Amino acid sequence: MLRRVLSCVFVCFMLLGIVFLFSPGEASASDRDDETLVYVNFRDIRDLNPHLYAGEMYAQNLLYESLVKITEKGIEPWLAEKWDVSEDGRVYTFHLRKDVFFTDGEKFDAAAAKANFDAVLDNIQRHGWLEMLRLMERVEAVDDYTLKIGLKEPYFPMLVELGVTRPMRFISPKCMKDGVTKDGVTGLIGTGAYILAENTVDQKAVFVRNERYWGEKPAIKRIVVRVIPDNQTRVLALEKGEIDLIYGKNMVDAESMERFAAMNGFKAALSEPVSTRMLLLNTTRGALRDVNVRKALQHAVDKSTISEGIFHGIESPADFLLATTVPYCDVGLKPYAYSMESAADLFRKAGWARSGKSFLRKDGASLELTLLYNANSVPERTIAEYLQSEWAELGVDLKILGEEEQSYRDRQKAGDFDIVFNISWGTPYDPQSFLGGMRTVVYGDYMAQQGLKEKAKLDESIVKALVSTDLEERRALFAYILNLLHDEAVYIPLTYERNRAVFNERVRNVTFNPSQFEVPFEKMSLEK
Amino acid sequence: MLFPMLLGISFIAFVLVNLIPADPAEVALRINDIQPTEEAIALMREELGLDRPFFTRYLQWLSKSTRFDFGATFTNANRTVAGEIARSLPATLELSAAALVIVIGSSLLLGVSCALYRDTLFDRSVRLFVFLGTAMPNYWVGLLLMWFFALKLDLLPTSGGGGWKNLILPAVTLSLTYISTYIRLIRNNMIENMSEEYVLYANARGLKQRTVVFGHVLRNSLHSCVTALGMSVPQLIAGAFVVENVFAWPGIGRLCISAIFNRDYPVIQAYILVMGVLFIFCNLAVDILHCFMDPRLRRSS
Repeated sequence: MLRRVLSCVFVCFMLLGIVFLFSPGEASASDRDDETLVYVNFRDIRDLNPHLYAGEMYAQNLLYESLVKITEKGIEPWLAEKWDVSEDGRVYTFHLRKDVFFTDGEKFDAAAAKANFDAVLDNIQRHGWLEMLRLMERVEAVDDYTLKIGLKEPYFPMLVELGVTRPMRFISPKCMKDGVTKDGVTGLIGTGAYILAENTVDQKAVFVRNERYWGEKPAIKRIVVRVIPDNQTRVLALEKGEIDLIYGKNMVDAESMERFAAMNGFKAALSEPVSTRMLLLNTTRGALRDVNVRKALQHAVDKSTISEGIFHGIESPADFLLATTVPYCDVGLKPYAYSMESAADLFRKAGWARSGKSFLRKDGASLELTLLYNANSVPERTIAEYLQSEWAELGVDLKILGEEEQSYRDRQKAGDFDIVFNISWGTPYDPQSFLGGMRTVVYGDYMAQQGLKEKAKLDESIVKALVSTDLEERRALFAYILNLLHDEAVYIPLTYERNRAVFNERVRNVTFNPSQFEVPFEKMSLEK
Repeated sequence: MLFPMLLGISFIAFVLVNLIPADPAEVALRINDIQPTEEAIALMREELGLDRPFFTRYLQWLSKSTRFDFGATFTNANRTVAGEIARSLPATLELSAAALVIVIGSSLLLGVSCALYRDTLFDRSVRLFVFLGTAMPNYWVGLLLMWFFALKLDLLPTSGGGGWKNLILPAVTLSLTYISTYIRLIRNNMIENMSEEYVLYANARGLKQRTVVFGHVLRNSLHSCVTALGMSVPQLIAGAFVVENVFAWPGIGRLCISAIFNRDYPVIQAYILVMGVLFIFCNLAVDILHCFMDPRLRRSS
């Protein structure tokens, strides 16, 4: 009997050996060559329908294009050669390029463009955050290459919203199901510089250059995207030379950035600030209803320690809700300086007192606040722990609570928090979409601002700023909004986030686009 | 016994997900970035059948699941839950099978040797290994192995699915904890058995030492191992998710993790059900194996 079991084990080993002998050694051996860049992402490309949000943005960027392109220099032509805006700012006329084809051979013309607009508008519920679509009254193809869009009201961020990765990019009308895309598409055919050649779910996607691309062809022929969920594994794979490029805010940690910057054969790059990491104070809750308490907390955050100690300088200290480099946001505010004395003074002014080392007390209650953070985010947890110990010195009893992302978001939306981490939407959505999102429940902003006396006026000003056609009026409105939020101390800015890239030095010209969600593969090349 | 157990599991899988405080209809909308307005929620409830009474929903889900129809995933309307499981389960089975072979092979070898050469330097170093193997978390061991074998020695790829070279590191990592358990189990059982009277009797009969050790002692030491193995097999499969994540292995554990993060309820339900069924069938297989190995059990039943 036992002999039988043992021989079974033996046979198993033999079989396994045979399987090993005949199975392919390294499936990914051919991934990396002179013409192929190996990129890495933490998850599968998922659903690349350009009109929905469930796909990876870098991939949507490779396949699909918009009417206009957002660049450092501003809005530039893309599938539209040029455009006119009517006097009243309500009618946009786009003159389309005449030499563009989808990769299935379909012509890109005004009819195809209109079909795409119709498909997106058919599903308008899904694009609630996009003011442009809500205002869109009619879209018509005037002739083969002229597209006219009429708005109900003028809206200045219109071109930016047309240029962002989704939803307003163009898919071949042949891929739509009965003229709509909300129930899925039958193919992933765009006009872009790359074509999706194959995808093995959760393993790798392969993009090849579109050899009949209408514009300047990118230098890299083939892009392989490996899927590696773990940060440490990605770093080891880069060091071993299995992959060429790690790119994105959350794809590589600060220590590894530093290490690769100093390592032979590798490079690291940082973008300009793209978004603000901040704390959002709930103005409807307990002690935080008092503006002096909120101001005291503003003074009690040492941003340079957070920047240096936690981010190794990769994220710079933030003085304002939005960096002064963001359009309309250089409004001459005075930052809250780090000063524990000012903080203590403000607490005293608000009626909070302490004896010795106890927590601050007022009317028999001690000053207890809860800071909610996303349990998956290591920086957030570290900052939370740091503040907990710092604020204890001041007499603030800070409880910290980490939750899994979905419930963290649920709490944000429900306003069920004292203090929560928040991140601005980032370029190119700042300031318009970020501020626009304060008027309804999008993240925690709307609920947290309910304690402000001027909340109604704030919302009204945001709407006005978004539709105003007068540049000066717009400036004044943004200045009012930012001043109010600053004076009321609703947000404690912590650091400005930057996009990160670490890469094998054979990759040349790794740069950053104004939109942080794009990876500019088309500008990169490989050293032979 | 089997049938009510299966029914119980299916019920638990269904109820657990229904106990999560968030409204599944609202979740399904939010996943796709639709503003959860009241009309949208009402529409979605109808679409998901949430407007019907609880038991009707359960029975419907149950009758569909027996045909492996778990519907579409919340996150990607193009992919069915059954399709996702069919895609990812084989990779996990491959990984677990490889780990199991390593576990059985090395723990038999080391366990028996330890018992035969007890308290020698060999025995002690294996026991140290056993101690470390159970004490170290496997994501950490995985990264260490990856760093050493893939980066420093440049022998194996770091991660990803594919050929057998990709399989070695994750399978070894996954097997480590179990190897430690089984070495200890086999060693201690054998030592215990060796002091039994039947061994003395066998020796007195003048049987060859090899026959005594392998034919009697080892055989009698394996009963508890087989029982434990019956639990370990499904544990290997269900517990592979950590290793899958570290080694980017495209298995069902990763499917489940991303489903949990996205609150993709249909996938989570199906995962619980599949794992439950797996546990039950492995238990059944062990019972059968026991009868096969121990004639007394056959006779008594």
